Amino acid sequence: MSITFDDSATGGVVRLEGEIDVTCSAELKRVLIEAISSGKEVQLDLARASELDITAVQLLLATSREAEKAGVSFAVAGEVPGNIGRAVCEAGFDSFPVSVIPKVAPANSTPPPTGTPDD
Amino acid sequence: MIDKYKQAFREEAREILLDLESALLDLNENRDDTELVGRAFRALHTIKGSGAMFGFDAIAAFTHDIENAFDQIRNGRLKATADLISLSLAAVDQIKAMLEEASGQESAVAATSAQILAKLRALTGASEAPVKPVPAAGITPAPAIAGTIREWHISFRPGADLLRTGANPLLLLRELRQLGTLQVKADTSTVPPLAEMDPERCYIAWDMVLTTLADADAIRDVFIFVDGSCELEVEPSPSSPQEAGAGPAAPIEKRTGEGRRSSDKEAQASSIRVAAAKLDQLVDLVGQLVTVQARLVEVAARREDRDMQAVAEEIEALTTELRETSMGMRTLPLRSTFERFKRLVYDLGRSLHKEVELTFEGGETELDKTVLDQLNDPLMHLIRNSMDHGIEAPDVRRAAGKSASGTIHLSARHAGAQVLICVSDDGKGIDREAVRARAVEKGLVEADARLTESEIFSFILAPGFSTAREVSDVSGRGVGMDVVRRNVEALRGSIEIASQPGSGSVVTLRLPLTLAIIDGLLVRVGQARFVMPLGNTVECVELTRQDIANANGKHLANIRGEIIPYIRLSEYLQMRTDRPEREQIMVAETEHGRFGFVVDQVIGDHQTVIKNLGRLYRNVQVVSGATILGDGTVALILDLHRLAQNVIRSSSIRPHTKARPPVPTRGEVTA
Repeated sequence: MSITFDDSATGGVVRLEGEIDVTCSAELKRVLIEAISSGKEVQLDLARASELDITAVQLLLATSREAEKAGVSFAVAGEVPGNIGRAVCEAGFDSFPVSVIPKVAPANSTPPPTGTPDD
Repeated sequence: MIDKYKQAFREEAREILLDLESALLDLNENRDDTELVGRAFRALHTIKGSGAMFGFDAIAAFTHDIENAFDQIRNGRLKATADLISLSLAAVDQIKAMLEEASGQESAVAATSAQILAKLRALTGASEAPVKPVPAAGITPAPAIAGTIREWHISFRPGADLLRTGANPLLLLRELRQLGTLQVKADTSTVPPLAEMDPERCYIAWDMVLTTLADADAIRDVFIFVDGSCELEVEPSPSSPQEAGAGPAAPIEKRTGEGRRSSDKEAQASSIRVAAAKLDQLVDLVGQLVTVQARLVEVAARREDRDMQAVAEEIEALTTELRETSMGMRTLPLRSTFERFKRLVYDLGRSLHKEVELTFEGGETELDKTVLDQLNDPLMHLIRNSMDHGIEAPDVRRAAGKSASGTIHLSARHAGAQVLICVSDDGKGIDREAVRARAVEKGLVEADARLTESEIFSFILAPGFSTAREVSDVSGRGVGMDVVRRNVEALRGSIEIASQPGSGSVVTLRLPLTLAIIDGLLVRVGQARFVMPLGNTVECVELTRQDIANANGKHLANIRGEIIPYIRLSEYLQMRTDRPEREQIMVAETEHGRFGFVVDQVIGDHQTVIKNLGRLYRNVQVVSGATILGDGTVALILDLHRLAQNVIRSSSIRPHTKARPPVPTRGEVTA
């Protein structure tokens, strides 16, 4: 697993890779707070994530709410991997807790549409 | 962190497997006992459930199929046959192996798993109602409990520490799905703002509707491992069709984490699991405290300070109580040790083609854990010997007019400060003459020596005897007997052997109750001080010069008409001291009858923390250890049994006994 935050002038990318579970939830929280407090648009990259556990899901949910309140964009770039989408759905969520923006190369100014997991 | 939980799971699983094994062995005796089938099923279910939770996926998958088979037995669709039980026992071993395996060895173990499962399928598939093809994990339909399909409303609210116990709520939901159709709604209303979140806590709660054949208990079973760290409500959904004639309205059961499921659960909740090493440390600390307390008493007495003496006495009383409590914490009932041998008897019985029943008595007798751990091997060897050489083959037994099935009986009872553990069998007994002939042949004894029966049997314990496989057709009792002897002696215990030709033999292990601290009697010989175990001592009388003169130089004392042989410690230990005008005889009960031990002075009671003398002194037989006295000096602890035994051997003294013949039970058979 790996949790990284790339900060650039236009916005940041939080990249989750591998299995994100309770063993790294403290780190995820730290990174998410850092990302959201930058005030810039933040994208969530799950392309290489294999699994999210409930701690990760609730952290993403809280971040998403925070972002909405602050008027900052926080959205999944590209797609939610199929198995993650299914797992979140099985966990009783109607949709992925973070809105999904369709894979459009420059995701600069597109307002985040509310998306659903692709399962 | 995760490793800690895995370790906890391993420990728990080992216990469950023991219970499972014992249930299976009992089931083998009583094939129709539904209670036992239920017990086995629950054990399997628990291992599967918690195995999956803690990442032992291979174990969970493997156990799943065995559990299915037992579910079928439970529902009467499958018979518990000898083959099935034997296979299940193999499965138990397999689960054990999977628990212990280091990662990286999976492939070899997996092959064995596959073999067992293939055999299991062959067995269950041959039954009247064929097993459903083993479904892919995750979508198994419910183990059906006879009943109607019903809707249940389940509310599951994880507590603050749910995730910290290693539980994964998503896996619980997945397991619920296996029971039927599940609609889930996550309740995220309690998720706090990001900054306030404890990242390791589950804030999400779930409301679910489950349509299933399973009953409320089966649903609760899913949450059994998080019981206590969540709030759980299981209620029949109001919209659920109530079957006409289904009896009274289904009970609405509401339960929170605190409300446990049954009384036995409550019993569990009242105890906690403590690492044995911590208890050892506690006993060690108490031992040091006892030593310091002895010093305090000594200092208080020397200063003649009343106040200080009062405090010292109070501390002494508390220390004694603390000592007893902490030692008591380390004791465990023998039952679990006994139960373990059921499997050995079952396996050996199959391979030797003998029918043997293992019976217990006194399983509630408690022993120090250290002693228990070291008892496993001796008992195993004794049982093996009984199975192999004692109990005859069924046709031989029938010819001898006995029942075809033999019995090995394990019993335990307290005898003073000791515990007696007996292993008896109703086999052919030990051939005394053959043992004697062998002993003569090996030069252990003169051919014309007059020996008692137990003296002859004690040769069996001699090291040379055990390795001599060729005597196995004589009596055979030799294999591993020196292991028995060494282990029992390491525990400062002794062994007695008795046998009746044709009707069996009894081996009795005599063990001290506790190891670390004993009540002792402090005595002085010359300038040296010694401790005698108080458990052995009977009385203390004076020995005057007149008494000595009356005995005509023999070491015999007349105590109220009873003639008691005595050992003068200063002579025995070759201490050059002046003999005081009045000496004292401590009369003690030894295994060789009553003996007197002459000392210069009896000082008094002493709580004795036993310290080992180390390897250098291991050949010093008459001293069983040392202890540190209040003033910092060292006193040796005397082994009265051995003292008596050595004196009997080296001289013509025979103890005067009314009840007991002299028995060389220690097992040293030195030529």
